[in-house]
Amino acid sequence: MNCYMKIAFILRVFCISVFCLFFSLSSIFAQNKRISGKVTDATGATLSGVSIRAKNANVGGTTDNNGSYSISLPQKVNTLVFSSVGFATQEISIGDKTTLDVRMTPSTSQLTDVVVVGYGTQRKREVTSAVTSVSAEQFNKGNVTDVAQLLQGKVAGLSISRPGGDPNSGFSIRLRGLSSFGANSQPLVVVDGQVGADLNSIDPNDIASIDVLKDASAAAIYGTRGSAGVLIVTTKKGTSGPPRVSYNGSVTAEDPSKFTAHMNASQYIAAGGPNLGSNTDWNKEISRTAISHTHNLSFSGGSNGTTYNASVNYRDNQGVAIKTGFRQINARLNLTQRALQNKLVFNLNVTTGRREAHQGFSEAFKYATIFNPTAPVHVAPDSVNFAGVKGGYFESNFVDYANPVAVLEQNTNDYTAKRINVQGSAEYEIVPGLKFLVRYAQQSFSNFRTAFLPRTSFHSRNFLGVSGFARNGYAYKADDENSNQLYENTLTYDTKFNKLNVTALAGYSYQSFLSQGTSIGAGNFVTDLTADNLGTALDLGAGLANITSYKNGSRLAAFFGRLNLNYNNFAFLSATLRREGSTQFGVNNKWGMFPAVSAGLDISKLAVIPKVDNLKLRASYGITGSLPPSSYLSLSTFTATQGTEFFAGGTWLAPYAPNRNANPDLKWERKAEFDAGLDFTMFNNKLSGTADYYSRTTSDLIFNVTVPVPPNLANRTWKNVGTLSSTGFELALNYDVLPKGNFTWKTGANFSTNHTKLSKLSADIAPGSYIGETNLGTPGQEATQITRAYAGQDIGLFWGPVYKGLDKNGKYLFDNGKGGDTTDENAYRTLIGKGLPKFEFGWTNTFSYKNFDLNFFFRGSVGHDLINTYRGFYENATVVSAYNAVTTKYYNPNVKDGQKFSSLFVEKGTFVKLDNATLGYNFPLPKTGLVRSLRAYINGQNLFIITNYTGVDPEVRYADQSTNPPNVLAPGVDRRETWVRTRSFTFGVNVGF
Amino acid sequence: MRLVSKTIFSAMSFFMVASCTKLDETDVLYDQVTTDQFFKTDREFLSAVGAAYTNLYGYRGSFVNVNEVTSDEIVVPTRGADWGDGGHWVRLKLHTYKPTDSEINGAWNNLYAGISTCNRLISTLEPVGTDQSKAYIAELKVLRAIYYYWLLDTYGNVPLSIDFKNTTPPPNSTRQQIYDFIEKEILDNVSQLPKSGPNDQATYGRVNYYTGYAALAKLYLNAGIYTGTAQWDKAISACDTIINSGKYSLTANYKDNFVKENTGASEFIWAIPYDQVHAKGFNLDMQTLHQESQRTYNVTAQPWNGFASVQEFYQSYIDPTQNPGPQGSVVGLDPKGTPTTGTLDKRLSNFLVGPQYDATGKRLMDGAVDATDPDGPQLTFTPYINELQPGAWRQSGARIGKWEFYNGMTDNMSNDFAIFRYADFLLVKAEAVARKNNNWNHPIALALVNQIRTQHGGVAPFATMDDKSFLAERGREMFDEAYRRQDMIRFDNYNSSFRFHPADADKHVNILPIPEAQINSNPNLKQNPGY
Repeated sequence: MNCYMKIAFILRVFCISVFCLFFSLSSIFAQNKRISGKVTDATGATLSGVSIRAKNANVGGTTDNNGSYSISLPQKVNTLVFSSVGFATQEISIGDKTTLDVRMTPSTSQLTDVVVVGYGTQRKREVTSAVTSVSAEQFNKGNVTDVAQLLQGKVAGLSISRPGGDPNSGFSIRLRGLSSFGANSQPLVVVDGQVGADLNSIDPNDIASIDVLKDASAAAIYGTRGSAGVLIVTTKKGTSGPPRVSYNGSVTAEDPSKFTAHMNASQYIAAGGPNLGSNTDWNKEISRTAISHTHNLSFSGGSNGTTYNASVNYRDNQGVAIKTGFRQINARLNLTQRALQNKLVFNLNVTTGRREAHQGFSEAFKYATIFNPTAPVHVAPDSVNFAGVKGGYFESNFVDYANPVAVLEQNTNDYTAKRINVQGSAEYEIVPGLKFLVRYAQQSFSNFRTAFLPRTSFHSRNFLGVSGFARNGYAYKADDENSNQLYENTLTYDTKFNKLNVTALAGYSYQSFLSQGTSIGAGNFVTDLTADNLGTALDLGAGLANITSYKNGSRLAAFFGRLNLNYNNFAFLSATLRREGSTQFGVNNKWGMFPAVSAGLDISKLAVIPKVDNLKLRASYGITGSLPPSSYLSLSTFTATQGTEFFAGGTWLAPYAPNRNANPDLKWERKAEFDAGLDFTMFNNKLSGTADYYSRTTSDLIFNVTVPVPPNLANRTWKNVGTLSSTGFELALNYDVLPKGNFTWKTGANFSTNHTKLSKLSADIAPGSYIGETNLGTPGQEATQITRAYAGQDIGLFWGPVYKGLDKNGKYLFDNGKGGDTTDENAYRTLIGKGLPKFEFGWTNTFSYKNFDLNFFFRGSVGHDLINTYRGFYENATVVSAYNAVTTKYYNPNVKDGQKFSSLFVEKGTFVKLDNATLGYNFPLPKTGLVRSLRAYINGQNLFIITNYTGVDPEVRYADQSTNPPNVLAPGVDRRETWVRTRSFTFGVNVGF
Repeated sequence: MRLVSKTIFSAMSFFMVASCTKLDETDVLYDQVTTDQFFKTDREFLSAVGAAYTNLYGYRGSFVNVNEVTSDEIVVPTRGADWGDGGHWVRLKLHTYKPTDSEINGAWNNLYAGISTCNRLISTLEPVGTDQSKAYIAELKVLRAIYYYWLLDTYGNVPLSIDFKNTTPPPNSTRQQIYDFIEKEILDNVSQLPKSGPNDQATYGRVNYYTGYAALAKLYLNAGIYTGTAQWDKAISACDTIINSGKYSLTANYKDNFVKENTGASEFIWAIPYDQVHAKGFNLDMQTLHQESQRTYNVTAQPWNGFASVQEFYQSYIDPTQNPGPQGSVVGLDPKGTPTTGTLDKRLSNFLVGPQYDATGKRLMDGAVDATDPDGPQLTFTPYINELQPGAWRQSGARIGKWEFYNGMTDNMSNDFAIFRYADFLLVKAEAVARKNNNWNHPIALALVNQIRTQHGGVAPFATMDDKSFLAERGREMFDEAYRRQDMIRFDNYNSSFRFHPADADKHVNILPIPEAQINSNPNLKQNPGY
C-alpha cells in the first residue's frame, strides 16, 4: 500500500469506527440523580447546543432548541462544565440543587486568555515560551487586502514590509530577523490547525485572531519549518444561538503621496537635454486616484450541536497606476458538528477564492521618472510613431526606456489565481481527558498568467525579454499549480494529579507537496486580435516560441509529542519533541530531531509585590529547522535544455547531462534559540507587559557554494555552510490610561531590536571571501557590486567606494584608503552602510467618547540605510542626452563624470509614519430592532511620514527582490521597480442583524 | 466496553500504521531522470556525448571576449550610462584585469565545464567496451585536449584533471606539463578519428582527424611561448597534413565563411553549428549593433550597442601603404566618418561603418545621441571613438559586421562559427616557414599570404613582407576569430602601447589571472605570478 492508499484506508476505518460508536455508547454508566435548567446568553436569549459535561465523569448532554437541558448524573458528580463555542466555559458546582440555570458570557476571553499554540491551545498564564496573540480588534484597519498587513507593526519582533503601493505585490514578513539563507525566511502559516497553509487563502475579514510563535521552543513542534517562526491564524467560528448576519463594506480612495524627484521640462532643456517641444508630467499621466471597494457578508449561528460561520468577501481594488488592480471573491465556510454528548466533534472548513489581477508594469514608474519631459505622449496626429502608427505613442529607441503611458495602456500583464482549501477533522474523546483527532486537508493554488505585447508596442527589453514591435506581437500564457495534502493524527490527554495539571500530546503528520506548470511564449501574429489563440503565432512553426513545463514534489513525515505541566498555576513546564524527515534532505540525513523545553514561574504567587498583580518569569530553549529552498538539491539528475541541442549527424539531439552536483549530506538548517522573558500586569491590571530577550544561532545554513570543476560536474553545490547568530530584545506594553467613564483611553507600544551576524562560514568558503553579493543592475552596472556578506560581520553590508567630493573638472573623488583622494572608484572599497534597522517600534492609541472612538497607530524603523538606485543611475546631469535626471536634495549640477556608484547614493532610512488612523461612531440602536449593531468609520492609511530619505519609500528592504528567490543576504537596496508610496482614505460601515 | 476498547485499539493501531516514513526523493522526481535511469539506448549515449560539444556554444562569450577585447582589434567603451559594468570591460582593454572579473571567471568556467563533461563521459563509456564506445572515447579525448589547449593559452599554469573518479581538487600544472599532455593525447587518439571533410554531415561540428592536426598546428606554432622551445617543423608538418589532404580549399569569396547559410563551407575544419533555434549562443548582433540597428535587420530584440573595433585596426584595411590594392571611397577616420579614398579590401565587410538605414532604406535617427557627437542624431557608425570611458559616443566605433547580419535575426545568430578555418592554417604554415628560415620573404610564406590576399581580399599581393605586415595581414583575415591575443603575444606587441592601451609594465599579463572564485574553492590552486 502506498501512502495515499494507506491514508484513504485509515480515514475509512475511522469513519466506520465512529459510526459504530454512535450507536453503542449512549447507555454505559449507571445514573442516579437528575438535574435540569436553562442556558441563556448575556442578554437573556436562550442558547441551544450548549454542551454540558460532568466533571470527572464520562456523561453529559446539550441544550435543546429552547435552551433547556435535563441530564442524569452519577451521585458522585459535583460539578458541571458548560461550554459553547464563542462563550466562556463555566464550571458550576451542583451542591444539592436539582435546577441549575446558567448565563453564558461571550468569550472575548477566549481570545485574550487562551493562546493558540501548535496542535492545541494553552491558557495565557501557562504559556512558557514567547507567543503573542493579536485579536481582530487590534488589527490594522482600512483597506487591508493582505493578511500580513493586519499585523504590520503590532507584534514586537515581527517585521512586515511592502515598499510602494502595488496592490498586487506581497509583503515581506520577518520574525526576529534572518534565520535562513534560503527561500524559507518567511514564517510558517497554520490556519485552523492546517500546517503550511497559504496566508492569502483567507480574507482578512474572516480572521478572529493571529498567534505569533516567536521562539524556538514554541515553534519546535513544527520541526523543519519552524525556524522563521509560526503564524497561527484562527478564523471566525459560529456560536450557538439565533442566526447572525453581518455586513462590512468600505470604499477607499488612494493617491500617490510621493514620486521620485526629477527635472521638469524647462530644467531638462537648461541642462542640455534634447527639446522635443512638449511639456509632459509623466507621473501624472500614469497615475490616478484609485477607488476601491470591499464587501463582506457573513452568517453565523448554531443549534443542536451544529455551529456554522459562512462568509463571502468581494474586493475590487484599483492601483494608483492606470489600468492596474484586482477583483477578488473569496468564500469560507466553517462548520462544526458535535455528537455523542459532545464527545465527538466534526469540523469542516472550506475556503475558495479567485482573483483576477491586472498587475501592470512596475517599470512604468521608472520610465515616468526618466522619460524625456519634453516628449509628447502621442506623436502629432498626422505623423507616424516608432512602430509606424499614425498619431501613436511617442517612443525613442534607447536602453531600458519606453513611454510609460504606452507601457501601461498597450500591454497586458494579468493573472487569475484560484485557491481551494478543504479541511476536515474529527475528534473523539475516548475517555474523559483523552482525545483522538484525525485531520485531512487539501490545498491548491493555481495561477493562470497571461501577458500580451501588441505589434505596435515598443517596450524595451525588460518584460519577458521581448518587445511586441520586434516580435510582431508577443503573447505569453502560463499555468501553474501548487497543491499539498496533509494528514495528521493526534492523541491528547489532559489530567490532574492533586495540584499538578498534565497535558500530553502525541502525533503523526504526513504532508505531500506537488508543483506543476507549463508556459508558452510566442510571437509573430498576423493580427493582434488573435493573440489569445497561440496557435496563430508564427513563432511556433519557426521554432522561436518558448515552451516550458515542469513537475516537482516533496514529502514530509513527522512524529511529535509534547508534555505540559502546571503545578498549582505557579510553576509551568513544557517539553516538546518532533522527529521529522523530508525528501528534500540528502540520503545521509533524512531525519532530524527538534526538541524544546521551556519553564515558567508566577512569582506573584510566591510573594506579594506591591502594585503587581502578576509576574511570570519564563525561559525556553529549543531547536527548529528550515528546509532547503527547493527539491532535488541533494541529487544529481539528468536533463536537457531547449535551444542547446547537439548536431548529431544531420539531426538535432537534446544533450542530456547532469544539472547539479550531488550532496548526499544535505540537511536542514538548524536553529537553536534561547529565550528569557517576563509577563506582568500591574496596577489592578491597568498596565500589562511582556519583555523578551533572545539569542539564537542558526547553523548549517544552505548555500549554493562555488566548487572546483573538475572534480565536480557543476561549479556550484548546495551545501550546509553558514552560521548566523542573532540577539534581540522585545518589549510590549499596554496601559489603560482611562479605563472607565464616558471618555476612555488605552495606549500600547512595542519595541524590538535585532542584531544578526554571519558568525561563521565553513571551510567550503575560503577565508576572507564574501557571499551574497548583488549588483546595481542594467544598464551598464551589471557588474557593479553593491552589497556583500562576510563571515564575522553583520548581515546587510553595503560595499563600495567612499564619496569625498568633486575635483575641479567635475569628476567624482573617492577615498583612496590611504587618507587621500582618487577618481578611481575601484581603488578602495569598504563598508558604506547597513541595510537592516537597529530597532523598530509601533505605538497605538485608542480613545472613546460615548459612541465615538478614535484610534491612531504610529510605526517606525530606525537605523537602517538604503541604497537609492534611482539616484545611483540618474542623479547626474550627464545622463540627460538619454534620460531625465533625478534631482533630490543631493543633486549636484557640477558633476561632469560618468555615473559611478559610491556612498553618495547611500542614505539613512530611519522613518516614523502615521500608519493608520480610524475615527468611528457606533449608532445607538433599540435592543429589539432588526439591526443589532451599526458602526460607521473613516480611516486613513499612511497619513504622513517623517524621514530624511529622498526616495519614495523608506521601508526596510529585507531582501533584494531583483533575483528569484530574493537575495536575503542583500537587504537595503531600493530598486527602481518599486511603486510609488501612496496615501489612502476609507469610509466604511459595519452592520449586524 | 468491548466495543470501546476495540475502537481504541483500532484508533491506536492506525495511528501507528499510518506512519508513512518512506522519503526517497526519486519517488517524487518527475521532469528529470537519475543517472541509473539513463544510458539505456544508443541514442541516449549519443545524446550524452553531445553535452561535451554543446558546452562550446559558450565559446562566443567570455572566451572570445578575453581574447579579443584585450587586443588591438576590439574595444567595449563605456558609453555614458551604458557598459560601465564596474569597469571590467575597460580593465580587459587596459590589461588591468582582476581575478574577480566576470569574464575571467566565465571563460574558465566554460572551458573546465567542457573538460569535466569529457572526464565524466569517458568514465561512463570505458566499461562499455563496444567499438562505438571506443570511438567516442578517442573523440572525447581529443576534444578534451583542445579544451586544455585553450586553457594553456589563456591561463597558463592550469590544473590537469583527467580522471573523473579522482575527487581531489587538482593543483596547478606547469605549462610544459599541460603542453606535453595535449601533444601526447592528440597523437595517441587522432588516428582513430574519421578523415572526413568539411561538408560531411556525420561529423560536422565534431572533432575529426584534421581537427586534431589543426589543434596540434596551433600548439606547435605557439610552442615557444608555452615551453620556451619553438616547434616550427612540427607546425609545418601538422599544417601539411591538413593542406595535403585535399579536403579543404579557400572559399571563392571571403564572406562565404561568414554568411548565415555557411554550414559546410570549404574552409571549415571545425565549426560550431550555431543556430537561432537549436544551438543558441552566438549573439554578436546584440553585442555590437546599436539599439536603432534593430530596424535595419528587423532584429527580434533590442541590441546592446557595445562592442566595436578601433580606428587603427580599421585603418590597417584602408591604408594603401599597409594594404596595397584598388582604391575607392571608404568611410573615413575623422569624428564624422567623412568619406575618403582608401583601399577597397573585400574584407572591409568585417566592419559595419557609415550612415545607417532601416530595412526600407530610411535613415535611422538616434533619439539619445550625445550632444557632443559631431555627426548628430542621424545614426552613423564612425571608426573614430572619442574616448574609452566614460563618455564614448553612442554611435562611435566600427561595428563587427563579419558574420552576416540577416533580416529577422534573433538574439541568437544562425551563422556557424569556425574555430579552425583553412585560411588560418595557410597563415600558420607561412609564419612557421618564415620563422624557421628567419625570412619573412621566404617564397613559400609569401605565396601562401598572397594567395589569401588576392582571393579573399581582392587586394595586391605583397612584394615583400616583414613581421609587422604579416601580423597586419593575419589581423585583416582573422579579425574577431579569437586569435588576436595569442598572435600579439607571439609577435611581442601585446604589451606595447596601442589605442586605448598604454604599454604594460611587464609581461605577467600575458597569461590571465586564475579566477578568485576558483582559488577560493580549490585550496590546491595557486595564483599566476604577478596577480
